[in-house]
Order: sequence, then structure tokens, then C-alpha cells
Amino acid sequence: MKKAIVFLLVIVAFFFLSGAPGLADNISPARLDEINKLWRGSAHALADVNCSSCHLDGETKALVKQPTQESCRSCHEVAVETFLLGKHGIRIAEGLSPLQPKMAHLPMKKSAGNKQMTCNSCHEVHGVNTFTAAVDSCLSCHNDQHSLNYAESKHGQLFAQEGILKRPSAKSVTCAACHLPRMEFEEIVHVNHNNTYNLLPRDRMVKDVCMNCHGLEYSFRSIFDDELVEANFAKAPTMELQTLEMIRILQGKK
Amino acid sequence: MASNLARRLENIFQLKTAVIATIVLLLVWFAGAFALDKRTVFLPGETSVGHVLVEASCNSCHENFKPVTNDTCRRCHEAEMAADTHGEKKFRDPRWAELLTKLDILRCTACHEEHVHMFGRGVHLKPDLCMNCHQGIIEGEMQSHNGFAPDGCWTAGCHNFHDHRSISTGFLMDNIELPPMLPQQILPERVVNLKLEQPPDPDLAREFLGG
Repeated sequence: MKKAIVFLLVIVAFFFLSGAPGLADNISPARLDEINKLWRGSAHALADVNCSSCHLDGETKALVKQPTQESCRSCHEVAVETFLLGKHGIRIAEGLSPLQPKMAHLPMKKSAGNKQMTCNSCHEVHGVNTFTAAVDSCLSCHNDQHSLNYAESKHGQLFAQEGILKRPSAKSVTCAACHLPRMEFEEIVHVNHNNTYNLLPRDRMVKDVCMNCHGLEYSFRSIFDDELVEANFAKAPTMELQTLEMIRILQGKK
Repeated sequence: MASNLARRLENIFQLKTAVIATIVLLLVWFAGAFALDKRTVFLPGETSVGHVLVEASCNSCHENFKPVTNDTCRRCHEAEMAADTHGEKKFRDPRWAELLTKLDILRCTACHEEHVHMFGRGVHLKPDLCMNCHQGIIEGEMQSHNGFAPDGCWTAGCHNFHDHRSISTGFLMDNIELPPMLPQQILPERVVNLKLEQPPDPDLAREFLGG
């Protein structure tokens, strides 16, 4: 009996361990045309990043059918490094399967439950469209009130007024503008892909993000108000903060 | 007499069987958990909000059975600790060094134990933990803070233990007068370097078609 159990366990283990995802099948000529068209219109093409840049192994020159974040990292080091430290990427960094929306504790779209969180999930790899990645990609999974209220919010409307762009402008207040903010790393502006970094303490987002556009008091009184956060900052803040009152008293003394 | 002895032997034999069976069962269970990569069965308690996503990767934090060190935490949390107000530099100063005897805060796990109940932000100590050193602040040392709740320092959103760059008194004083909308509303500009005017021809094709 015991032998049978052990035997059964070995079989089950073998089945699970050998279940690693295989390489994608060859693609059709029509699909290749489609991909080439997307790529031709991308910043990658104009930056002379060709098929082989991602699809040929740098050393062995073997074909890589499904490049991973390691391929992206060879040019986008800060983006990948920071991605791997946030909730979106930490599972990959720690050698686990990529994050899936069904593992999340926040409300996610049911239909998106089995998606896998890699670079490709948000950045369509061949068009590398950061316009889509900045809002639409987020909303393909996130289903909480704050996210759902974005489109109607002042921020969402401002972005909508800009029309379709090649990439978000310095005026675009997208999901990414706040949650994957542009920050200086060694004097060069990169997108910080650690989506967890500025969530807590909340004042971190105030200094790094809100204060690109808003004053300190307005930002503090907005971001510490849970209802206003849920409403995606639908109206001007009304919350009073004792901290700010105390600062004013202190200033009066000076 | 003889039957008594036999019964006793029988009891011992049954006990032995039960013990062996239990050990075998546990071993099979553990081996199965390892083999099936279901390591979550080894978790001693609930994992904190951030770490729950990697709780199946024991060796992310645990090297064999050694205790978790600060280096383990720094692997991921360097950015959060870049400007630590309660860091090593502070406590090299003899004025503050002695305070470490009250709470060994240079050890991450002094406040951030894992697999136990958390009071928010991965802190397992009760929220009045600041009172270990700063009790005087609410008991007369600082008029403006006299009578404040002992557990409100950080839970009310006024102070950060590690990084207070964005909430320090100086920062608030310097910026409190700014209007709701700044004169210029602009995010840091990203530079995209393009090398070509026209896209080149794709340099692979047949490879993807199975040719």
C-alpha cells in the first residue's frame, strides 16, 4: 500500500514537472505580415531594433521564439529591474510562475483571470505601443472602483482629449503616470515599473507624482481621503488634515 | 501472568505501529508537497500582504534553516530604504546608539516578523511601537504633540519610520503655500532616441514560418 502511494506520488510529480510550456508553433505567413506591419510602425523599428535583436540568442545565434524579460533587459534595464521588484513581476524574480490576476487580492476582471503578467502582457511586443500600455492594458485586468472611475475622472478626460498618441505625452495623466511614474535614475528619466513602490506611504506618491501638477496641500488632502481615491479624484478635496493645521501654526511662530 | 505480559507486548507493538505509520505518513506528505511544488503546506501562518505572492518560494527569504537577515530584505527593498531616517548612520552617533537596547531596530525583523499577525505595512509590533523611544513627545516634551494617541504617529499618516522625505516638517513647511494647480503641469519628459528615418526591412522571416 505504502509503495503504491509513493509510486503514485512520483508519477504525479513527473506529470507536473514535465508540464513546462513548450515553444509556440510556427506562425502563418499572414500572421507574419501582420507582425511586420506592427513592428514597422514601432519605435523599435526606427531605433534599428530588428527581429534578430530579440529573436536570436546573442551568443549561440539560436532562434528564440518567445523572448522573455531577459531580452527586454538588454536595452531596458531599469524598466525590467524595477518591474521585477513590484507585485507585477516579483514572482518571476523569485523563480515562480508569472503573476495571474486570479491570484490577486484586489478585484480583477474574471475573464482576465488566467493572463500571465510578463512584459508582453501590457506592451504588445511588436507594436510596442506605450499609449495602450498606459491605460488600456491596466483596465484589461483591474476591476476595482478606482480603476473603473478613471475614464470619467478629470485625469481620464484630459488624457482622452489628447486623442490617440504614439506615446503618452508629458501632459498625459494615465494610470501609468501615477503608478508607473517617470523618475530620474542616474539623471535619465525612466519609467519606474515597480508598481508597488509609491503606494505606501501615500505621501511618497504626492512628492514623486502629484506635485508635478498639484500643490502639496491639495495633494495631501486628496490622497489621504479614501473616498476620493476610490472616486478617482472626481472632485476637489474637502478633507481637513491636522498635520497641515499644525504646520500653519508652526509657520505663524516663525 | 502470562496473558498480562502478552497483552502488554501487544500494546507496545500497536503503539510502535502507530508511531511508524504516523512518521511514514508525515514523510510522504512532506515529500509530496515538495514534489508537487506545494510548499505552502510548510507555512507557519498567514503571510503579509506584499509577500503573499511569493510565499511558495521559501528560499526567497530562508537560506536553509538560518535566520532571516537584513541582506535578505535588502535584495528587494533597497529603494524603500534609500533614505532611511532610522538607519545605521543615525545609530553610529553615541547620542542615539543606546536607544538600540530598547528596540533593536537595525534588525529588520525586530518590527517586520513574517507569518504572524500584522498591524499594517508589514509591521507585527503593536502600532504604539514608537513609544519605545519617543514616549516623552506625547507627555510634555513637545507642546504641540501633548496628549496625542500613542499609536497614531504613523497610523494617522503623519510620520514615516524609514523614508520621511515626503512628509518631514521641513518639506511640508517649504511647500504648504503652493496653489492647488501649479503654474506648469508637466511630467518629467522622456527622451526616445531614434536612429532611422524609415523602418528597415525585417531581418528574419523564414525562421518563423518553419523554413
